Amino acid sequence: MIPFLADIDPVFKVLAPRPADWLSILPEIAVAGLSLLCLLQAMFLPKALRFLIPNTARIGLVLVAFMALNDGPWTTVDEATSFAGLLRQNLPIAGVRMVFLLSALLTSFLAERFLQERDAAVADYHHVLLVVTAAFMLLVQSNHFVTFFLALETGAVGLYVLVGYLRRSEASLEAGVKYLVAGGLSSALLLMGIVLVYGALGSAGVADSLNFTQIGKALTAQSIAHTISPLTLTGIALILGGVAFKLGAFPFHAWIPDVYQGAPTPTTAFLGTASKAAGAFTLVLLATGPFAPIAVKLAPLFAVGAVLTLLVGNLGALATTEVKRTLALSGVSHAGFILAAVTAALVVPGATGFDYNAEQIVVIYLLAYVIGTFLTAITLVSLPAAEDHRRPQLALRGLLRRSPILASALGFGISSLAGIPPSIGFVAKLLVLALLVKAKLWWVLGAALIGVAISIHYYFSILREAVVRPTDADEELAPLDIPFGTRFLIGALTATSIIGGLFVLFGR
Amino acid sequence: MENTSLAHHLILAGLLFVLGLTGVLIRRNLLVVYMCLELMLAAATLALVAFSRFNRTMDGAVLVFFVITVAAAEVAVGLALIVALFRKRGTVQSDALTTLRD
Repeated sequence: MIPFLADIDPVFKVLAPRPADWLSILPEIAVAGLSLLCLLQAMFLPKALRFLIPNTARIGLVLVAFMALNDGPWTTVDEATSFAGLLRQNLPIAGVRMVFLLSALLTSFLAERFLQERDAAVADYHHVLLVVTAAFMLLVQSNHFVTFFLALETGAVGLYVLVGYLRRSEASLEAGVKYLVAGGLSSALLLMGIVLVYGALGSAGVADSLNFTQIGKALTAQSIAHTISPLTLTGIALILGGVAFKLGAFPFHAWIPDVYQGAPTPTTAFLGTASKAAGAFTLVLLATGPFAPIAVKLAPLFAVGAVLTLLVGNLGALATTEVKRTLALSGVSHAGFILAAVTAALVVPGATGFDYNAEQIVVIYLLAYVIGTFLTAITLVSLPAAEDHRRPQLALRGLLRRSPILASALGFGISSLAGIPPSIGFVAKLLVLALLVKAKLWWVLGAALIGVAISIHYYFSILREAVVRPTDADEELAPLDIPFGTRFLIGALTATSIIGGLFVLFGR
Repeated sequence: MENTSLAHHLILAGLLFVLGLTGVLIRRNLLVVYMCLELMLAAATLALVAFSRFNRTMDGAVLVFFVITVAAAEVAVGLALIVALFRKRGTVQSDALTTLRD
């Protein structure tokens, strides 16, 4: 609140932030504060106490998660807006904020040892990680293209740093540069889209043509009067294209395998979960929010995108034996699943599967994907590798003998990703399929089922390697020593996967 | 301003944008590619200012400031990455980026 501005112009009286507005983004402020705390600790703590840095970050994240879970004084799960309509909160948005917090927490667990082994700074990594997390948490709340663009770009620039973090590794730098060019291109397309929508609607006399609510109202009126200009449609296409780039949906998925393979494995896991969640959820918000009035025009586009993304991702994953590339391309197919859910919401607005609407199903799907990805990533990070970007399936051989707990983590992670019954991944896929049945999108449903069938093949070829006995040549593979923290994490994630799945199906 | 219309500005912005996009797609030198990316952002900024001026709304002009800030942050990180890659590889040609494959 800036009192003197309110005196000058009555507009500021209406627009000035109220204390309740600041409360609504308290989790984001806390995460940003934590990220600064990481840097401060790195400056002032003696070397012997540096181990505190990632621990403070993790404790802080857990506290913020508890704060954000609460429906009440700090955050709301009811439909609400804050900062004069710049931000918006509701239950699915609260859920996806939790996805980001969880993803950052798990990334921090993976990153600490990984970075220490490679002699890279842990504090700086956590700083950037938390900034990106806070930015993504703001992104999903944005209800205005200025906050949207700023939050998205803050997240993207931070991710360039995290991908190219290992300065001594050619693979990491190469992935960083490739991500930079791909990300820069998508930002430029997105910005041009925003500009065209702003300009075209502004020329048509819409007052606040960057605000999602106003855009939605204007498009509703224009679509009834059939006066939507081609410029607006071009802008919307560019915006959706830019977001599809972040999500890694066909035909904007070309950068995914290289970047995921070259990035440090903790970053790969974060990219695959948080960044994908940001892309997926913003796509849902845009499609069901400001662009909902032209859903009829968008639905075929999304349906074709979903089918092709599912097929391209799964077929691509079949053709590679590098585990990180397989996971990257299977991530593309998961993006296809999310697109399929969005398509269903466009065809039948308010469609539900098992009493969950499309937004909620996307959040559940993302949560399942986080759990599956991190269980798999824990296995990869715990395995010694000469080069982080070379992790062939063969390297997993004999894992069951070397470390049963890692093998079970891999098994659970993979079955969660593939959608095998006891896991939450199965429940998530089931919900999307139910949604597709409700929307009567039979050919998208067909593509999804074919995708699942293909994915079981490549997922289980990874798992087979882990279960296969080591041959005489690699009999010397030593048993792996897994620290207590990792064991605990594996147990917690596995339990969450099963209990979460049951809760989603029967808990309400 | 009297002899120029919104259309003139938009055509110029569109040309710059397409020029940048073409450069990103066909050039092989990473620095040139990066400059082309910035050109695309500049084109969007130009369109933004034009719309803001001709539609008489301030929102676009405000967004321009944010875009410039974001572009500066992107350049800082981007150049650092490209320089680090050059130190490692001795080249910034995108054809030489072949570490990552099956």
